[in-house]
Amino acid sequence: MSRDNVVETINLVKSYGKHIALDSINLKIKPGATGLLGPNGAGKSTLFKTILGLISTTSGDGIVLNHNIREEGAIIRSKIGYMPEYDCLNPDLEAIHQVAYSGELLGMNPSIAMQRAHEVLEYVGLKDQRYRTLDTFSTGMKQSAKLACGLIHDPELLIADEPTNGLDAAHRDFMLNTLNQIVNQGGRSLIMASHLMNDVERVCERIVMLHKGKLIAQGKIEDLKAIEREVEVHAWGGASKLEERLNDGGLKVRRTGRVLRVVHVDDSTYDQIISAAAKSGCQIRRMQDHEASLEDLFIRIMETLGYGVKSSEQLLENNPNLKHVDAPLELKNRGPLQ
Amino acid sequence: MSEETIDAEFLGKEGANVTGFSRMEAAYGSGDGDEEATAAVASSSNAEVGTIFEQIYRPWNGTLNTRWVRNWSILRHHIYGMFSSGHRPWGWPVRISLLVLLLGSMNDLFLSFLGNATGVEELSRLFSPSRENLYAHVLGFFPRNVFCFPIAAALLVGGMISEDRKNGTSAIYFSRPVNRTDYTVMKFISVAILLSILIVGTLALYYIGDLVLSGEGWAYVLDTFPLFFAAAVAGFFLVFTYSSIGLALSSVSRGKFFPAIALLGIILGTKFIAFLISQLYEDSIVYLLSPYDCIAHLGQEMMGINSTYDHPYTWSLVAIIVMNSISLYVLTARVSSMEVTRE
Repeated sequence: MSRDNVVETINLVKSYGKHIALDSINLKIKPGATGLLGPNGAGKSTLFKTILGLISTTSGDGIVLNHNIREEGAIIRSKIGYMPEYDCLNPDLEAIHQVAYSGELLGMNPSIAMQRAHEVLEYVGLKDQRYRTLDTFSTGMKQSAKLACGLIHDPELLIADEPTNGLDAAHRDFMLNTLNQIVNQGGRSLIMASHLMNDVERVCERIVMLHKGKLIAQGKIEDLKAIEREVEVHAWGGASKLEERLNDGGLKVRRTGRVLRVVHVDDSTYDQIISAAAKSGCQIRRMQDHEASLEDLFIRIMETLGYGVKSSEQLLENNPNLKHVDAPLELKNRGPLQ
Repeated sequence: MSEETIDAEFLGKEGANVTGFSRMEAAYGSGDGDEEATAAVASSSNAEVGTIFEQIYRPWNGTLNTRWVRNWSILRHHIYGMFSSGHRPWGWPVRISLLVLLLGSMNDLFLSFLGNATGVEELSRLFSPSRENLYAHVLGFFPRNVFCFPIAAALLVGGMISEDRKNGTSAIYFSRPVNRTDYTVMKFISVAILLSILIVGTLALYYIGDLVLSGEGWAYVLDTFPLFFAAAVAGFFLVFTYSSIGLALSSVSRGKFFPAIALLGIILGTKFIAFLISQLYEDSIVYLLSPYDCIAHLGQEMMGINSTYDHPYTWSLVAIIVMNSISLYVLTARVSSMEVTRE
């Protein structure tokens, strides 16, 4: 196993009876910010518990911050800051004391924990509210207090489970900026689970995708999005003929009505499209590169249900579910024109 | 932006928007130096004009202490919370109730003081720490084991674990290097210490207080200390049993009310039912269902008091062991199932 990775697992399996929660996961999370994506039941929570060394694995091995997850759970947890998705704060306790107590539970001296609690609460923007009881906090303030609890010991790795859950725009912006700063200014690593692709894209440079307990993609977001690079063509008068001719020319095409998306092979793809349009008597009204968002990528991968999907070849398999294109709204409303 | 183009009004002035600049008057009516006064703003070149909060990540290079310091922090959190703020927030009704129960548990000390202060020998002898009085302090059913100890135990165990489940604070514990055994043991010890103050602590106060008040010598101490010691051991049995049953109930619940009421129901309900059945059939065997009676039976044997039960005391001992085993099993099983990711 490489010591360059913050988290690394080899054939990690966790099963509860017949149910396999994690199925032969080979994970490599490098330092920096990594987004963890997956629908409900994908195994994200189980993965977190495994990383924290809280549950025993059925088979396989894992290293977190150079410590074995099977034997050194306590050491791992002392080096990790965990920000849970759900409420984890005592509503009757003042924020400063809740954060200080979370530091004491890590083994910090009470006076040092208190001093550090002041620092981190100021850092997460709760300096003026630190002597208020937590039941008076808004959702955004509670999320910040949870983050402060996770940051009190300046962990090497911060695990944030849905950090922007239930936040309004201003709080969400602040939370994402803070997480960004922890990674870029503080030099700490972050694993962030979120259903909001924009949030992940804004903070993380790498992602890990899980589906039904299997690892379906991991790597840099830019690299993963590159497998989705397509050219979007808005055609008029003979879109089906154009599609046919492009297919004959060896290009892979997805079409909804007059909008086609053609897999970008190289720069000659544009010439091929124009040539095919001329030959099929079809007018091209608009042609542009279509850069997939992380959300597109996520939806596409989930739709394929193809475990171990890594390439565009696999993504563009002839699956009827994939035969749709996110056409502009005005075109969608008109319905398909052939 | 020129002022002419601004379509805004600020503090009654048209054409002026909120720029972020501010000026503060030092005090009402103060004019000296006011023209030169400026607001304190962040000095960083990155900060926007008017910003008074600058977010800077501050690393921490300290070292974390060992397991025992972590465990101590759990114990401290629960026990200090009873006496000061900043720790586990025990409610004021609980604190006041416990204070009243504490004072109520010391009524024999007050009576002993009265006896010694008045100099009436009969009173003094009546309330001095005799075999029966020491037994009664810990295991007397009325009033201590009706009003004081079960209610105190119910107040203490009520939210001890159930609130961690309800509030999700178990995640704060288990996402840190605190294992479930340490968590359970420290919670148990916290309850046991507070309950011990009430049961064994007041017993010690009563015994020592009377010694001081009556001015008895070493011979008296040697004579009565084994009785005091036996009563204290019986008191610890009571503390352990009430704590284990109470925490087991707290671990299966998500609120304060159910564990408290259930504990009172088990302690007083079994006693009441056993009393009724024993009256009907003139057989004390059914008292084996009552935790209080089993410990009382043991206490009678340990202190050499005539037993009020027909069955052998070893049966009560076995019953107590079984009750505690079941309670501890439920407690550990339920704590093991507490989640970090969601509850």
